[in-house]
Amino acid sequence: MADYAPVDRAADNMVTFELNGRTVSAPAGTILADAAYAAGVEIPIFCYEPRLGPPIGACRMCLVEIEGMRGMQTACSTPVTQDMVVRTNSPAAKDAQDGVLELLLAQHPLDCPVCDKGGECPLQDRTFKFGPGKSRFIEPKRHFPKPIELSSRIALDRERCISCFRCVRFSQDVAQDGQLTMQERGARSEITTFTGDAYEARFSGNITDICPVGALTSIPYRFVARPWDITNTPSVCGSCPVGCNTELTTRDGELKRITGRDTPNFAVEEGWLCDKGRWGYDVAMSPSRLTTPIVREAVGDRSVSIEDGVAAAASLLTGRRVGILLGGTATLEEAGIALDLAANGTLANAVLARLGVASGNCAPLRAVTGAQLGDIDAADLVVIVGGDPAAQQPIVELRVRKARRFGARVISCGARPHALESLGEFTRTAPGRLGDAIAGLGDAIAQASRPVILWDEADLASDPGAIEALSGLLAASPHATQLMLGADVNGAGLSALGVPTTGLYEAIAADEIDALMCVHADPLEAAGSVAWQTALDGFGGPVIAIATYASTMTERADLVLPALAMWEQEGTLVSMTNRAQRLRPGAAGPAQAAAGWEILIAIAHHLGHPPAYRTAASAFGHTVASHPAFRGVTPDLIGTDGAVVGAWPTADTHPAAIVADADHLVLVATRDAFGDDMTARSHALRTAVSAPVLRMHPATAQALWLNDHDRAVLVSDAGNSTALSVLCDARVPEGVIVGPLGAPGHPIEGALARNQHQALVRVERA
Amino acid sequence: MPILNSVYRHREAGHVLTDLAAYRAAGGFAAIEQSIGEMEPDDLLYVFHRSGLRGRGGAGFPMGRKASFLPKDAKLAKYVVCNADESEPGTFKDREIIEMNPFQLIEGMVLAGYAIGADRGYIYIRGEYEHQARVLDAALIAAREAGFLGDKILRSDFSYDITLYRGAGAYICGEETGLLESLEGKRGQPRLKPPFPAVAGLYSSPTLINNVETLSALPPIVTQGADWYAALGPEKSPGTKIFSISGHVVRPGNYEVVLGETTLRELIYEHAGGLREGRQVKAVWVGGSSVPVLGAAHLDTPLDYESLNAAGTFLGSGGCIVMDDSGCIVRATLRLASFYRHESCGKCTPCREGTNWMERILQRMVDGDGRMEDLELLESLFGRISGKVLCALADGAVAPVASAIKMFREDFVAAVTNGGTPRPAPMPVVEVR
Repeated sequence: MADYAPVDRAADNMVTFELNGRTVSAPAGTILADAAYAAGVEIPIFCYEPRLGPPIGACRMCLVEIEGMRGMQTACSTPVTQDMVVRTNSPAAKDAQDGVLELLLAQHPLDCPVCDKGGECPLQDRTFKFGPGKSRFIEPKRHFPKPIELSSRIALDRERCISCFRCVRFSQDVAQDGQLTMQERGARSEITTFTGDAYEARFSGNITDICPVGALTSIPYRFVARPWDITNTPSVCGSCPVGCNTELTTRDGELKRITGRDTPNFAVEEGWLCDKGRWGYDVAMSPSRLTTPIVREAVGDRSVSIEDGVAAAASLLTGRRVGILLGGTATLEEAGIALDLAANGTLANAVLARLGVASGNCAPLRAVTGAQLGDIDAADLVVIVGGDPAAQQPIVELRVRKARRFGARVISCGARPHALESLGEFTRTAPGRLGDAIAGLGDAIAQASRPVILWDEADLASDPGAIEALSGLLAASPHATQLMLGADVNGAGLSALGVPTTGLYEAIAADEIDALMCVHADPLEAAGSVAWQTALDGFGGPVIAIATYASTMTERADLVLPALAMWEQEGTLVSMTNRAQRLRPGAAGPAQAAAGWEILIAIAHHLGHPPAYRTAASAFGHTVASHPAFRGVTPDLIGTDGAVVGAWPTADTHPAAIVADADHLVLVATRDAFGDDMTARSHALRTAVSAPVLRMHPATAQALWLNDHDRAVLVSDAGNSTALSVLCDARVPEGVIVGPLGAPGHPIEGALARNQHQALVRVERA
Repeated sequence: MPILNSVYRHREAGHVLTDLAAYRAAGGFAAIEQSIGEMEPDDLLYVFHRSGLRGRGGAGFPMGRKASFLPKDAKLAKYVVCNADESEPGTFKDREIIEMNPFQLIEGMVLAGYAIGADRGYIYIRGEYEHQARVLDAALIAAREAGFLGDKILRSDFSYDITLYRGAGAYICGEETGLLESLEGKRGQPRLKPPFPAVAGLYSSPTLINNVETLSALPPIVTQGADWYAALGPEKSPGTKIFSISGHVVRPGNYEVVLGETTLRELIYEHAGGLREGRQVKAVWVGGSSVPVLGAAHLDTPLDYESLNAAGTFLGSGGCIVMDDSGCIVRATLRLASFYRHESCGKCTPCREGTNWMERILQRMVDGDGRMEDLELLESLFGRISGKVLCALADGAVAPVASAIKMFREDFVAAVTNGGTPRPAPMPVVEVR
């Protein structure tokens, strides 16, 4: 992993110092180990990991000689100063390196041939590069029953542990889950959880990335591949709108592992992944995965080849007025090609829409200088307006915790209780009343020098007063930057292409559509599903579903075309911070499946309008790059780190604010990344799943004669939810129900109106 | 003004002073009355400085200088922490002071707190000192009731209280930053320095940490004057020191001597009553178990910092362990190596792995599986452990082993060639006179 912090070699406070006889320079105060690495000199390290916070100087691997300083110094804790004279290759330094490595290996089992880390192991690499080559330790080494399951996803081989404390520091300082600790003392030190229970946490997998030996390994990857059998592909995660940069490990065309990148993207995820992004890929092998095209006929379902499926799709679309519905995970290429087919006459007058939160009214906020997640690090004030970031955009939690560690003030306000509120002050607001809390933020923002405002797309979109208050506040605070906590994976990208959230439903209802094609979209499982169900019940034309997983829609569609999963295809997603990033395939996928963009191109060929593009990259150039938001953006520019695209005008509107009245409660939907149907399908994440519940204030529950674990149904003008268990939570404001969006079976979507995450509801005991 | 025979009032008085009235009768709390609200804190600090008092916990750092490192204008709270985690093998002097004279420690902590402008004091007492913790607790309550602790001490503007905190039994928590970690409720492990505790100590606030014996020396320094203390013993390191003597001596116990005025021989043969009939000194660990061992040839070394350094060892904590010629130096060294293996916190690689390796090599020698090359192996390890780590524990682990092999090499060679060391006869029960 990213062992050394990047060094800005163009800073204006450079100092020069002598390193092994060479004169090199680095910004004053740079940690010597980092400065040396940037200058091409590797000082070996184990415990040092800049992302974990200040150095602890424990492993003693980085001892170097510094003239004028007594004894050996640890390069991981020494800042460079002008005219410092450093030797990392003198006899004394070499002896120290030999010494520490010999001692590290004294108890280490050296079972590299059967160790999962072998071949990509920092201890192995540094032993070869810096070590003594031979051990004088003749005593029997320690043995443990092996391995221990630290959790259902992480194995711990205690004898391989070199007590570098990286995992403990991650748990205590970065994730702050307070679980991992060192037990016992000295040579008997062992990593364990404080309680002895399994290490269940949402970011736990990162400790397998930062472990510099084979002590902490991923159970799903255990004994699956060796480093020389695999290829690693940089990609991004499409599980949530954050867009964490990932690395996909492939063996024999199959995806075997997802890790953070060796070179993290400091603007996005800083190399950390949530456990869902890391281990959730096994849903691509779950029983709900669609593997062959299905033609649904009166006599029954018929599996066909992908070629026949595409031909069938083309014939269903020929001569019909087509509606195309894009899901929130559809890529820019899929949307761009669909728009192109509608514009160039292939599918003349096709109506396009997307599923997702309608947030066009938030445009004044988006117009303010946008921050990247990495900018939160340097903030002295983090304001979280609405939302539930720890659950919906998991990695944001680590960024805010890091800023807090550096001393930033954290202020939260909103209706939904969330994990980051405890980091500072918070104001609980009623839905539709965020504006009141925002009005009170002025002083704090004015006092801060680098404030970053995080605002929730869905909450702000349903609260026009809050948009006005916040945009007014931002206008008065030119030093503040803003960052949208997005609702949909590629919502930013699709709306940048001008795909509206409205129009298609209305066209279907007005009988202006003869054929419907859903691309990664299931309106029957989305907000407003009851209305969609009614519209589709009256819809006589054929429905084609291009989808990766079975869903209500694929059960109903006349033709199902299996699409590749996000780990298997090319494509571009735009994160909630307007960052265009590329998906790259790390697996071949089922033989009879194809990428959504490929299917759309093939359909165009069958319709007699072969497009000018054949690949995802050329489709991007022909169909996406012409849109104003993407002008000048090319796949090359996006590269492996992504490119920030501009703000865009959008035509979306949003209905009026939802404010509680005497007869109704307000349902506020929240998507828990670990409570959705994707997580529920993952075997690896089986112990991380959070149960879907209706959270409400105890007083609200009492007024409804409900207790914990009672089951209730929400009834709104849009429709009914299915029954869900009640959980009393005194942090939820009275009169509000926080319900799970995207949970298995999609229980609350029926009570929501289309493209909305809030609704007025009545509660009935189930 | 009478010249004290002893710096510690219970020794002067000849009886325990756990009762507040008794302590007052013995001259106690005069220093507080004389200084709190009466002297400028800086002047008091200067008194400590001029006395030449050095830290009695083991490192011997000048107390006044250490206190002067605390930033004067810090906005953060300041703390005085008393290190009462007396875990050095062979050392039991702090225990005596706490047991018999707890108010002098409390008075010393108030003086130190006033001098640096502290907000609160903490006493970190080792977990095994249960009785001593009770004594201290009662003394703290009594001192609070009498107005020597708490809000506006003696109606001055100075408010200061002391919290007693019991450790959980780890030697490393006697290391000052390990102690602070433990006091903060964390795993006891030394911190990376700098920053030093004077700048960022307890809860990242400026903190003065001193040993029980050091802080207890402050009240008489105030009442008798810095010049009086500075005149005791050698110029560079004046004062008295309590030596805890144990092992093969007739009268083990604590003996307070003026530094530089007593030799090791006098300590053993006059104060501690000498050895058993017919026995000769084989080895002496003068300053606790973490210092290089001395042999019979060093008995005429005067007991002060400089003379002991010249003899190749340290005054340390003054825990003087004496072994006569009935003992086996190889086994004794193994015992010490085992102690350090057990107490290494495990943070730094060289100490964690090195103490373990040293113990196992020595164990093989004792068991008869030693090899001649093991002596060279051990010697090559010393430099790779000592000085390569965060704290002094590793140095303390190496010193007794390295010095024993250097001074008694023939005994180690014999252990290898004879196939081990004979099991020693059980220790005779020595009647304490």
